[in-house]
Amino acid sequence: MAYEKILEALIISLNVSIFSTLISLLVSLPLGAIIAIKTFYGRSILIACIHALTSIPPVCAGLIVYLIISRSGPLGWTGLLYTPTAMIIAQSLIIIPIMSSLILKNIEQDFKNYKEELITYGASFYVITKLLLLNRYGLYKTIALIGFGRAISEYGAAAIVGGSIDHVTRNITSSIALETSKGNLDVAIGLGGMLILISFTISFIVNRKDSFK
Amino acid sequence: MKNIFKYIALCLIVLSSPILARDYLIIQSTTSTVSTGLLEYLGETFFKETGIEIRTVGVGTGQAIKNATRGDADILLVHSKKDEMKFVEEGLGIKRHDLMYNDFIIVGPKSDPAKIKNLKDLKSILKILSSGNFKFISRDDNSGTHKKEVSLWSKFNFNFEEKGWYIKTGSGMISTLNIASEMNAYTITDRATWITFKNKNFLEILFEGDENLFNPYGIIVLNPENYPHVELEKSNQFINWLLSTQGKNLIKNFKVSNNQLFFIYE
Repeated sequence: MAYEKILEALIISLNVSIFSTLISLLVSLPLGAIIAIKTFYGRSILIACIHALTSIPPVCAGLIVYLIISRSGPLGWTGLLYTPTAMIIAQSLIIIPIMSSLILKNIEQDFKNYKEELITYGASFYVITKLLLLNRYGLYKTIALIGFGRAISEYGAAAIVGGSIDHVTRNITSSIALETSKGNLDVAIGLGGMLILISFTISFIVNRKDSFK
Repeated sequence: MKNIFKYIALCLIVLSSPILARDYLIIQSTTSTVSTGLLEYLGETFFKETGIEIRTVGVGTGQAIKNATRGDADILLVHSKKDEMKFVEEGLGIKRHDLMYNDFIIVGPKSDPAKIKNLKDLKSILKILSSGNFKFISRDDNSGTHKKEVSLWSKFNFNFEEKGWYIKTGSGMISTLNIASEMNAYTITDRATWITFKNKNFLEILFEGDENLFNPYGIIVLNPENYPHVELEKSNQFINWLLSTQGKNLIKNFKVSNNQLFFIYE
């Protein structure tokens, strides 16, 4: 029983967080690159906003998504509340700013270094973006891992929009909260250990790479 | 540029899958029916028979009603009859059905510093507890249990929410029982949660059986006139199934450590 619960929570968490990481990466890569390379009106404000959003508290991200996709909200017709998709959206909202700001910083730096060469060769915006993104391919794996680590360990956002429904949206963090309050400490400890293991492994890989030199 | 469209298409496919078909019902219910495992057990049996999945959100009664009012449910299963009747009168729900009942009990430290264990009268117990010499834990989350507790204080005109003896947790029943246990305090709980509660080392039942402590659960399907997304046919199917002899027997036979948790109207 305990084993099944742990396994199920783990699968739900991995499923949701992998998807939110992929989606966030797909959004952050073009977003970060465009902001880093293009010059446009209000750019510095936008950059400041993205950096500020990196510290959005998960519960607040959850609340915002909840208000939007609840049946009384603007996207209520989608019926997304209490589904894994809702959790993916909420987690993406948390990690997109983090990933974009990291990508933005790095590409901005690279663009400064290679700007003259690239422009001399007459590279178009599209080619510049492509070259700069491919140039630091390894970096994006690290950034994805950072986002994933943040997504899988957050508590609040996924719990609010997922509703902690058994077999559907009860992920590791909401299971830990629930089982601890129920006094099922064996399940809570098992899940907690697993989550710590995942986060530590990610931290270890990220730091070992020394990608930010 | 093409890649960006691919990204967007992929995102849309992932996001749209749950919108297309819905073969599940969302029930907004209380912590007592969820944390005891009752709805999981009923839901699994119902799923085997009909293929309709029951997804339960377990929150306090007050929040469950609010969530349902926002439309985030097909069915509401809570225990605060006055609020349920209001919900139906406002046209938000179709009809309230009596589903089952149990009762509230007053629990406290085994050492019983307030010496209420041998008292037979609810009023005198509340009077002693409200004297301010003993800690009382309130859930303070607008749940059915919290509403019941507040109604008891006001019914006998005792002043609560005063000074240090009245402690508000703002959390679920089991957390509140844990806190009562840690703080050597008194609290009120529904019997079902008490029976499933595992950490009973320091707490015991000190008062039970008063008619004021009756705890009826009602079930309501949301009104499709206000909430067009409600799966009316499937919801009715579930409610009729619960109210049938089969459903009633399942509720009656739902036991935790050999104790029946919920009772049905014969």
